[in-house]
Amino acid sequence: MKRREFLKNTVVLANAAAFGGMASAAQFTPAPCPVTLLPMPDYGRDMEKEIAAIMIDDGLALKGKKVLLKPNFVEAHPERPINTNPSVIAGVAHACLRLGAAQVIVGEASGHRRDPWFSVLNPSLRSILDKKIRCVDLNHGDAVAVPNKGGLTGLPHFYLAKPVAEADVLISLPKMKTHHWVGVTLCLKNLFGVLPGIYYGWPKNLLHYRGIERSILDLARTVKVHYSIIDGVIGMEGDGPIMGKARPVGVLVMSPFPLAADATAARMMGFDPRKILYLAQAGRFLPGLRPQDVVIRGERPARFAAQFDCPEEFKGMRGGPFF
Amino acid sequence: MERSASETAALVERLESFSLLDGGLPYYRGNISAAEPTLLAALALSVSGVQAERAKPFLAWVQKMQNPDGSVGVDPGHRDQGVWLTGLAAIVLHHFGLAENTKRALEFLLSLRSVTGPKDPRLRQDDTLTGWPWVPGTFGWVEPTAWSLIALSLSGLGGHARAEEGARFLLDRQIPSGGWNYGNPALDGKELLPFWDTTGLALVALYGHGDPKRVGASLELMEKNQGKIESLSGLSWAVLCLDSYRRDAGRARVRLLNVMGSLGDEEFHLGNFALGLIALSGQKVFIP
Repeated sequence: MKRREFLKNTVVLANAAAFGGMASAAQFTPAPCPVTLLPMPDYGRDMEKEIAAIMIDDGLALKGKKVLLKPNFVEAHPERPINTNPSVIAGVAHACLRLGAAQVIVGEASGHRRDPWFSVLNPSLRSILDKKIRCVDLNHGDAVAVPNKGGLTGLPHFYLAKPVAEADVLISLPKMKTHHWVGVTLCLKNLFGVLPGIYYGWPKNLLHYRGIERSILDLARTVKVHYSIIDGVIGMEGDGPIMGKARPVGVLVMSPFPLAADATAARMMGFDPRKILYLAQAGRFLPGLRPQDVVIRGERPARFAAQFDCPEEFKGMRGGPFF
Repeated sequence: MERSASETAALVERLESFSLLDGGLPYYRGNISAAEPTLLAALALSVSGVQAERAKPFLAWVQKMQNPDGSVGVDPGHRDQGVWLTGLAAIVLHHFGLAENTKRALEFLLSLRSVTGPKDPRLRQDDTLTGWPWVPGTFGWVEPTAWSLIALSLSGLGGHARAEEGARFLLDRQIPSGGWNYGNPALDGKELLPFWDTTGLALVALYGHGDPKRVGASLELMEKNQGKIESLSGLSWAVLCLDSYRRDAGRARVRLLNVMGSLGDEEFHLGNFALGLIALSGQKVFIP
């Protein structure tokens, strides 16, 4: 499917009965969702203590828990910031140990690269992690069929990588990027990487075929994300998530609410999340879409506000100024 | 560089140490048996000079895994998933002369078609060509198409219309400056970067299909860059493809042996390790 056709379909999707099964109003009790902006001008700083302190403030209880960190590794390119930076992954992993996690696993089912050397088994990551932290290639290995709680894709089940299904706490660690099919890729889109490639392929074409946005929404209903940390130290603008350019923003966006993190990051990128179809639809069942649903802590968001370059088709998703 | 028999024996022994009671092998330690590592391990044992008896439990496991329609899926709990593995299964079943199982696997492969689309002049690829998908009912991609093409070629069906179209599919997905990635030579008009594993696999699959000049840039790319490849999978495919085309794979072979000898358990992907053993054997099991 070409991008133009895809966008046409998403308009249909937004307006038609495709979402008819969803509640017309939010199914949650509105409450302010904390989102913390942690300034991080570069990747050279030790982030562990600051991240741990914010997690404590957010009430994230990790003592004795099995924690799975889900970074975003799509493919490797020497000059493009495609993947979550290893320093961020290490900072979060070590913060989890500091907070008493019984087990910390860094797991990813990379979307394009079948070879795990290009994702979580790369020495650049493993060499900076504490020996107690395991790196697990989620593309190959055991999986567990769980019922699809969404139903938009028509897929009866999702086959989750077993370490994801067995984790007590799932922490999403995406990169702040534009996405040439859906506008932006952040915490919710990052959920594609909990599905093993041996079931879904490289890329996960079954999800593309059933609709990327439908798939994101089904996964968001099916897989609980307990905490989100978006790597916006250096994001990607333009023709993301692979072919774009580096865009330094200098921030980590942290929240116990994935949609609140995504919506806030989208605003910082210069997009109105209510114009990004899957975020807007996720707002029907997850809290944090509207600015009034979010309480921003830490640094002032205006400091990081940017206007990410994007493909022409997505310029209509822009908005603001928000801060 | 020649390997000693003891080096090979040590590598084979390490592979077999992961064997599970049901006769199969997992992807990683702690997992259940899965088709891909078990299939590749059977082949690896066969080309490593060990007694044929030692591959028998793996083969028996695979035969039990084959579905009535000939397909082979991911693992015993998910036999209907990941049936793209049937291409590899057909290769291994053929290698061991299991004619009935091979025939059923090939029949399944010939029935499995990728979804096609109209030709779009804006794209640098021809979506009207049929290859093989990862998942039935979706588009074709380099790896499942390459495995299926190898299976057909080894079984004497290299001239079948599906094989010929599969070869055209792979050539169409070749990146103009050489190599393959997962399956798009370009995105939004920009050429994508090649991957070593899919480049090696596609080159092996295309062996004997058409004019070798059409893959010349990819072969050159692989030969030139073999010393820079660092991963087990990439090095294995570099050796397998360069050996197939009688090119010098010396640097990749040395590096591959070093990598295989230094893997920790966490990074020990049994499918890739078995592939490494096949590559080191120098036997051309993937070309007719």
